This record gives sequence, C-alpha cells and structure tokens, in this order.
Amino acid sequence: MSRKHDVNKEIENEVYCGTLPVLPKERKYGFMDALLVLSGYCIATWSYTQGSYLATLVGFKQLLIGAFLAAIFMLMIYQLPVILSVRYGIDIWIWLRSVFGPKGNKIVTIIIILVNFPWYAVCCELFADSMENLLELFGIHLFNGAHLVLSLSCVVIGTVIALRGVSTITWTTRILVPLLLLVGVAVVVVGFTSVPMDVIWNYQPQLAGDADKTVNYVLTIEANFAFVITLVGGMAEVPRLCKSEKSGYYAGVLGQGAAGSFFVVVGAVMAIAMQYVTGKMVDDPTLMMATLSAPILGLSSLLLVAFANIGTQAVGSYIYGVMLKSTFKKSSYKLLVLVLGIYVALLCVWGKITEYFGSFLTIGACVYAPLAALLFVDFFLIRKQKLDLKSAYELPGHNAYQYSKGFNIVGIICLALGFGFTLLIYDPIQGIIHNKILFMLTPTFASFIFTGVLYLLLSRIPGIRRYIRRDTHASPDKRPFDRAKTPPRQNLFMLPILWLICKITVSPYKLKIDKHNMEGIKPPFLVYGSHNSFMDFYVTPLALKPYRANYISELEGFEAFGEWIYRQIGCLGTRKFINDQYLIKNIRKVIERGDVMVIYPEARYANVGTNSHLTPSIAKLAKILKVPVVTINMQGNYLQQPIWNLKERKGARLHADLKCVVTKDEIDKLSVDEILSRIFKELTYDEYKYQLDNNIVIDDEWRAEGLHYPLYRCRKCGRDFAMTTSGSKIACKYCGDSYNMDELGRLHSPSGETIHIPDWYEWQRGFVHEEVREGKYKLDIPVRIWALPNSVNFVDCGEGRLIHDNSGFSLEFDNYRTEKHETLKFSAKSMVSLHTEYDYRGKYGPCITLSTYDDTFFIYPTDESRDVFNPTKIQFATEFLGGLYK
Amino acid sequence: MDRDNELESRIDEILKAEKENKIPRMTKRDYIIAAVITVISLLGIIGGFLL
Repeated sequence: MSRKHDVNKEIENEVYCGTLPVLPKERKYGFMDALLVLSGYCIATWSYTQGSYLATLVGFKQLLIGAFLAAIFMLMIYQLPVILSVRYGIDIWIWLRSVFGPKGNKIVTIIIILVNFPWYAVCCELFADSMENLLELFGIHLFNGAHLVLSLSCVVIGTVIALRGVSTITWTTRILVPLLLLVGVAVVVVGFTSVPMDVIWNYQPQLAGDADKTVNYVLTIEANFAFVITLVGGMAEVPRLCKSEKSGYYAGVLGQGAAGSFFVVVGAVMAIAMQYVTGKMVDDPTLMMATLSAPILGLSSLLLVAFANIGTQAVGSYIYGVMLKSTFKKSSYKLLVLVLGIYVALLCVWGKITEYFGSFLTIGACVYAPLAALLFVDFFLIRKQKLDLKSAYELPGHNAYQYSKGFNIVGIICLALGFGFTLLIYDPIQGIIHNKILFMLTPTFASFIFTGVLYLLLSRIPGIRRYIRRDTHASPDKRPFDRAKTPPRQNLFMLPILWLICKITVSPYKLKIDKHNMEGIKPPFLVYGSHNSFMDFYVTPLALKPYRANYISELEGFEAFGEWIYRQIGCLGTRKFINDQYLIKNIRKVIERGDVMVIYPEARYANVGTNSHLTPSIAKLAKILKVPVVTINMQGNYLQQPIWNLKERKGARLHADLKCVVTKDEIDKLSVDEILSRIFKELTYDEYKYQLDNNIVIDDEWRAEGLHYPLYRCRKCGRDFAMTTSGSKIACKYCGDSYNMDELGRLHSPSGETIHIPDWYEWQRGFVHEEVREGKYKLDIPVRIWALPNSVNFVDCGEGRLIHDNSGFSLEFDNYRTEKHETLKFSAKSMVSLHTEYDYRGKYGPCITLSTYDDTFFIYPTDESRDVFNPTKIQFATEFLGGLYK
Repeated sequence: MDRDNELESRIDEILKAEKENKIPRMTKRDYIIAAVITVISLLGIIGGFLL
C-alpha cells in the first residue's frame, strides 16, 4: 500500500469520524482539558502582531481593557451557541446547515476560509521577518526579494507537513504548543525586565495630529472583538468533545479571552519595550529578544519562532483542509491543501498583509459578526435550542434543511445584509468612518445586533417562519393558544391598509354592495355573514366601512398570517365546534366597547355554494348582547374560489347585501325562533342559481377539477368515492357515467340530463342519513395527524387511527402533550358540524379537523385509506349525528 | 450503507442522551453568572472611554 493511499485513507477516516456526533461516553474533555487545547490554538505568533497593532492605537491601560474585557464580553455572547455543539456532539459546520442549507453552507465555508486564511499569511510574514532580522544582527545582508522567498518557504514547508496527514500534524501540535509557550515566557521575562515597569504602565502612543483618541479606543475594542470572533472557525471542533455544556462554554471563553488575550498583551509589552529602547515599534519576538537581551537568546528563539510559524501554518492548512474535505467530499484532500497553500502564497506575494492587519481583521469580522448573530438567534430564539440532527446530516427522508435546492435564502440574505451593514458604518480598507454613532458600538457589535434583530424579525413573518422552521417536529412550540386574551380593537392605522388591500383584491370581480335598512344603524351591532371562501374576509370590511369590526377566526388563520397581524385586524381566535366560553366573553367585550362583531355562523365554507342549517344559539347570542343584528349575504365568493379547487376564476362577479334584520328595539320583543328565522331567511343562498340568474360565465377549462370531493357518489351506479374530475368533466371511474360542467355551472350528461350541483350534493346526504339510521355507518381507518396547538406551528403526531360511528369520533394516536398512546373521544352530540378541507392550503390534500380546547387536529388519510376518506361524507354523518339535520 | 446506519444509531443515542440529560446542561444559575460577567465586561469597556 502506497504512502499516498495511506494519507488519503487517513484523511477520509478523519473526515468521517470528525463529523460524526460524539457520544457522551466518548467525550474526552473536562474544563481544564478543553481550556488547554483551546488556549494552545489561540497562542500563535500573530498574537504579537495583534498586541503591537493595539499599541499603536491606545495607551497601555486602555489596551488592557480592550484585550481582556472586550474579548471576554464578545466571547460570553459569541460562545453561547457552543452549548449546542456540546449537547449534540457536533461541530458548528454541521449545525450551520440549518442556518444556510447544505449547499449554502459550502459557500459560507469558502467565505470563512477566504477571510480566515490571511492569519496564516501573517505567520509566514513573521517567519520571514524573523529570519531577516536575525541574519541582519549577524551582519548578513540578504538579496532583494529574499523576504518573499523566506515567507514562501514557510508556506511550502507548512503545506508539505499538512500533506503528510494526521500523525505528522499530531506530532507537530505536540511540539508546537510547548514551543509557543516557551517563546511567550521568554518574551514576558525579557519585556518586563528590560524596561522600567512604569514605562509600560504609563505608555501612550505617539498619535498623528488629527488622530481621535476615542476613535482609536473604539478601534481597539473592534480589533479585539474581531480577533476573538475570527479565531472561532479553527476552534469549532473542540466543544463537541466536552463532557458538559458549562465546560465547553467557559473553556471557549477563557481559552481565548484569558490565555489568548494574555499573549496579545505580551505582544504589546514587547512592542512598547522595543519602542522605548530603539524608538521603533516591532512585532517580531526574535528581534526583540536579540535587541533587549543577548544575540544568543535571539538565535535560539529564532529556531523556536521559525518552527512555531511553520507549525501554525501546517496545522492551519490541515484543519481547514479537513474542513473543506468534509464540505466537498469528492475533492481530494491533497488538492484542497494545495489550493490553500496557493492562496496563502498569493497573499505573501502581495506582501501587505501586515500593513493591512487591522483592515483584514475588520473584514473578517464583517463576515463573522453576522454569522455569530445568526447562530445565536437561530439557536436560542428560533430553534429554541433544538436541532433536527437527522436533517442536519442529510439522512434519507430527512429534508428539513434542504430549503431552496440546498440554500436557506433567508440565512444567506441576512449574512449578506449584515456584511453590508458593517461596511455602511466603517470602511476598513480606507479607515473611513461613515456613521460615528453606530461606530461607537464598533462595526462588529453593530453588525451583530443588526443581523440578529433582522433574522429574528424575519422569522416572525409567518411565511418565512414556516420556511426556516421546517424542523418544527424536532422542537415544536406546544404552548396552547391564549383564547382568553382580550382581542384588541381593529388597529386604526391598519384599517386604511386593510381597506386598500380589500379594494385591490375585489377589484377584478366588480364587487357591488347593497345596503338595506341600514339607515341609523351604528355600532355596536352584530353581523352574521354567509361563508363561501376567503374572499368573504375581503368583502366584509368594505361592506362595513367606515366602522371598525372584530372577526371570529379559526386558529389556522393565525398560524398562516401571524398572530400579531391577525389581532391587529381584529380577529378573535378560536377552534371550531368546541364550547368556547372565552369566545363569548370576548364577543361581549367587543360589543361593550362599541364595535361591530362579525360572525360567520356556518363556521365552514359552503361546499357547493349553498348555505348550511343554522343553530338557535346565534339568535340567543343576539338576545344576550341586545344589539341590532345585521346580515351580510355575499354572492359570487364561492364561484370565484370554491373550496374544492382554490384556483381563482376570473369570470366571477361579486355582490353583497348588507341588511339590518333585527333592530335594537326589536331584540327584546322577538323570540329566539323569530330572530333565527329572520337571519336564516337572509342567509339562504345558492351560488349556482346566482350564477345562472346573472349569466356569469366561468369558462376556465379546468372548472370542474376537484368537484369530485363534494360530489363523491355516482348517480348511476350508486358507489361512494367513485367520481373523478378532469377539465370540465366529472365521471364515475367504475361505470363511466359522466357529466360536463357548462360555463354557467350546470352539469349535463351525454343523454341530455341537466343536474343542478347542489341537488346532487343533497341527494348524497340522504344516503348517509340512511346509513346512520340503519347503524351501518362506520369509518375505521389509518390516518396521518398534525396538531395545531397555537398560532406558531403544527406538530407532527405521526400516524394514528380514526373511528367514526354513531357514538362520534375517536382518535387513537401518540399524543405529543402526554407522550402517551391515547384515544381522544368526541361525542356525536357535541358536534353539529365538522371543519373539512379538500386540498388544505392547496398542497396538503383532503382533511377534517377535530378540536379540543388546546389543540386542533388536522386529520389526513394515509396512502392506505385515501380511497375511502371523503370529508364530505364524514361531514354529512357528523351533521346528522349532531342534530343539525333531521 | 454501514456508515449511514452507524450515523443514524449515533443520532438516536445522542437524542436519547439529550432527553436523559446525560450531558449536564447549563443551569439557570450558569446563565445568570454568564450574564453578570457580560455586564461587568461591558461596564469595563464603557469605563475605558474615561481613561
């Protein structure tokens, strides 16, 4: 077996093992172990560069504050999400797939490497500086271009070591960390003993005339934020090996914030001492030791520093090579390390990385700050400390983090905007401050706040929330919706916007509103409306203009559009067909504060454009409230978008009649039956009759598609669930009997028979009533269940069993609340009707819902039960058993 | 295929360990201490403007 093969195999194994979740029993690190490992990573010769850079900006006291407190402040926040790495035993690159998507994560990985790798060019520069300076001390003058040759040789040797694989790197690390510590100790001793202590303590930089001390201090804080934030990329693999969350977290904070910062201060002390002695500020520890102590100490330190820089370069190439390999699995490790080597070499050829050290730090932070904010907000506020691990690892069948073809557009946009926001505050290349107020927060922290808030706000928009929270099954929000909460009045500022949206929506359908007996009718009053489609919610506000109104809405509307916005437009949330006392209380509150209360008493869309029976409770409510009763009968809304096919039909024309049916004077005098009869009379409708009477042509070729959901029984062979639809045709899949839907909504058979759709619908109802009466009605099928506990998310309850018979419904499933396999019973008499959907939200197919006070269960057929699951038939049986139809 | 199985069984074990709190969690007290340290650091940074 060749050496080449060995390395590739080794690396592949490393990548494989390096990405697997680490089990609790495999964890190696306590707090001290993790602290030492992370401290080792933070101590590199670039700490001296950072220290000497800070010394050019501020005095020693401010430098100390910046190095320690700024670092710790940022790390205390930035390291918090490390908790997730510890909990799941994964590194952040796996987790980032949830924030950016697996493919988006690849791009982010490349960006991180692009902004991180200049650190290694700094190492190579330091190596070349050390060599040159030492040789100069011994009187050897190098040729022009020798500096570049030396820095490139550091790249080459480092790359060769990285190419040799895991075992060489392990040995390199074992030697490297003690060496760096040794150099550090030597620098501390020499630095502090070669100049008086008060020189260092009272040090102030010689600033140019136009330099602003406050700006320099902010730049110091910024440099320290950036310093700690950009080092995290290389440290991401350590926390997953920790035995407790606390040890992982504090090791990260103190590894960088204490040990790393200490060496930054050491670098600053060295630079200050050199300036005191020679008048020149340097960041090269070799030169300092040779100058401030003896050349022989410089010579020995040369070897240490040389190896340290080469070793750091090698370890960096290895870490990022493995990281790239885990992201781009098909690429060769060797090729990836070579590409990294070429990138560092190009930076060395450019030769200005030390000059632009502060700029490169800030540019790095421009990327890392929004990245940190995304991780923080994602972990604590959006995913609530839960991750769908199987999706993060892209296991077959687990696609929650695939988003848009592997990219989480929201995460990527937030990252880009966060990056742009930093540049709006400060130009790191030119050093120009664009916004001094935000600059005082430091560009890194301002970007962190901006990106975090942006991501959080976007996640509150329902559509976006659903997009980024496709993993709700991993950490669902189970809090029940607060039905008791007093609904706010319709927001006055929202009202014009609402009217405008309604006006725009209805405009293609030429809405006409007629008002009857409405003279002198002012709020408070009660409105009962017909209920045909979502268009009802656009027509009603226009009919009630200029008054504010509150509406009763099923909770799923809150989930679809967002609770805040739904409450602002005046919605009262409830669940269907439950005895909701809080709802009655809230209705009373609406009336007491002088507003209009709108109720759609059928509580479900009309299946075939005809009204349902109404219960006396609506008349009783009117009598309790003692306010005028108004009806709004809307025509055309069903025709425009029938529930069985949610595609909009442009030919529909809308009309609404608003009528006061009971005045305030009459409310006490009339009986419940009289009030009910007046309401029922005004809310009786037949959309197909309206279409025919008004010659409303709906000529969409697909106009009958979906009609088989409400018309499920063949008129000829009498089989249930027999009908199929295509284009304008409805046909029986067994006997072939077929009808064509004309442009005025009538059905015609080839033999010339004409059917009025509601007649067919009601004809079916009779058979169901018969089945129930004879005790033959029974549904017992496997189902798929989703629970809706609140306005935030659905909870996947998996598969269960639904039984419906003369005693009512029973639903057997794994109840996510109790975490037990349970059967919920819904007695037949407790439900006068049933909420049904034929194609929920246009993509989930047919379903029925059953509600408790804290959950609405959306019940779908499985593949096995699809052929016998028809919401219409279940609804017919429910209404008959509940007493709505006799 | 073996690797997929190993991954899946590891994930199941991790999720079980999470449920059983096998990896000690950050407690409320730990979060409070972290918040206090953060605030002290911030006050120190603000104090630095006065120097």
